[in-house]
Amino acid sequence: MTALEAVTRSEVEDFLYDEADLLDSWRYDDWLALFEVGARYEIPTTDYQGWSPHESGSFVDDDWDLLQARVKRLKSRKAHAENPHSRTQRLISNVRVFPASDGTVRVTASFAVYRARDGHFDTYVGRYDHVLVVTPEGLRFRRRRSILGHEQLAPGARLSFIL
Amino acid sequence: MVDAPLVVEDWDRLTFRVNRAAYRSEDIFAQERENIWLHTWLYLGHETEIAEPNDFKARTIAGRPLIFCRDSDGVVHAYLNSCPHRGTILCREREGSTKQFQCFYHAWTFRNSGEVSSIPDADAYESSEEFRALMRLREVPRLDSHEGYVFISFDPDVPPLLEHLGEAAEYMTMIEEQHKGGMQTLPGVQLYSVLGNWKLAVENAMDGYHFSPTHNTFVGYLRESGFKVTDDDQYAYNLGNGHGLLVLTGHGGRISMIWEPRFGEAERVRTEAHRAEMVERLGEKRAHYVADESHILFVWPNLLLFDIEGLSIRQLEPVAPGRTDVRAWQLVPRNEESDARALRMRTVVSFVGPGGLATPDDIEAYEAVQRGIEATAGAVAAELDFSDMSRGMTDEVKGVQGRSIDEGAMRGFWRHWVGAVGHADGLAVRGDRPARFLTGRTMN
Repeated sequence: MTALEAVTRSEVEDFLYDEADLLDSWRYDDWLALFEVGARYEIPTTDYQGWSPHESGSFVDDDWDLLQARVKRLKSRKAHAENPHSRTQRLISNVRVFPASDGTVRVTASFAVYRARDGHFDTYVGRYDHVLVVTPEGLRFRRRRSILGHEQLAPGARLSFIL
Repeated sequence: MVDAPLVVEDWDRLTFRVNRAAYRSEDIFAQERENIWLHTWLYLGHETEIAEPNDFKARTIAGRPLIFCRDSDGVVHAYLNSCPHRGTILCREREGSTKQFQCFYHAWTFRNSGEVSSIPDADAYESSEEFRALMRLREVPRLDSHEGYVFISFDPDVPPLLEHLGEAAEYMTMIEEQHKGGMQTLPGVQLYSVLGNWKLAVENAMDGYHFSPTHNTFVGYLRESGFKVTDDDQYAYNLGNGHGLLVLTGHGGRISMIWEPRFGEAERVRTEAHRAEMVERLGEKRAHYVADESHILFVWPNLLLFDIEGLSIRQLEPVAPGRTDVRAWQLVPRNEESDARALRMRTVVSFVGPGGLATPDDIEAYEAVQRGIEATAGAVAAELDFSDMSRGMTDEVKGVQGRSIDEGAMRGFWRHWVGAVGHADGLAVRGDRPARFLTGRTMN
């Protein structure tokens, strides 16, 4: 991966699949290493109509400090909502890659995240709308955004893990 | 069937116990629907959600689908979302703007002020003018608002809203006074659903005792960022009519009013200027009460106002004994500068909501209670099927104000609940009950 033009869909797919594996195996330090310093993690609410998280309510609106705090929390056994951990399995498809003129790459994809906990089995369906950057070490998140396709979160389906 | 008292106060042993059937029983849930939700004021929504004429939201309250709208003349209405003709859901959109609501089934059309605007082939009815008048949209019997919070009642004979709100009204006014331009809701509504009884959500909000153990990781985050978290010198109040109030000063800063390090240097400068403006506008004493305390206000039976780092309005919609839909809106100062707004939004949702760093642990707690109380259902010894809320009764019996880390605000809630639910075997009192309980709060 040298120039922007070289970022192919299969490279982006590998990046997303590797990320999914890290999340499903609860390797949060390795997951955080996929972000550039200063990156953001966002989940808009289910009534999302494209507005800025700075001017609306959200489910998640993490800047870099909060993202690090979130990871630290998830690694603690005192993060009661995720202790015991949710068991998750992620499917990703419909990956599309849009190089931008500022050197970043916008990536959209569809996701289905299955989560088992407490005798319940939840499905979270939606799409990613990420901004990636190319670094000498490979692709990194500048903005990781998960947009839910639901009208509201299903009973018991919280967002205490990474969606 | 529930064959033991729902609430047992024992003034000899200083214990207060709640029958767990209250969280679990279909019968009690039905009694609540009938005796509580149909006969009190209920929070519907905020006026700024439907800011412009013709704006509407479809929303279910107490299990009844409603249309919350502003008509073309700017008047706020709450209609049953059901065609007067055959009962079809009239408005199938969740939100929008319209001058007319048209039922798709037979194309009956209504103005947003409620009158029939057209019935196709209306001369088939004997007296079409009289018929049209009868067929106007069904308004919820009572609607009133306080400081932009719109309440409804399905019972036409409830007392006036301000009488119902009592002292709670003052804390809603104090929120409105935080900024000179007043407050507004924002889009981006958190819609989620909890596998727990609605009363567990109320208890959790009135319970300062859980903060340190349940939110251990959030407290750790605050401490690392330089904020001194404490439970000292903080109190919980019964405001009467089932309303409750937690006054907190040691759980976090307040955007634009109490600075803490994680808010950053620019916010420190803004906070100083805004705090000075508040003193000028409200006077030193009022500015102190409005700015320097966080308030968690419960307005019986379905509204929680989290006036903490920022402001969050939370509405509880019981769906079943073990399921509660939750809706949360962020309330913000009008005309806030963009940096301050971004900080506010980021900070508020870092705590509250199903994706925050704290609320998921609260949800875990009440879902774990709902699952756990199955263990004692129909127990061999009925005494086991009770939850304990005795903490602080030794002070309560002496007339000493309860602390935020006691369970006095919960007891006030349950005493009101047991009177309102109208169950034949409600409250059991053992020993000598105090002649009166501390109610309300004096702000000197």
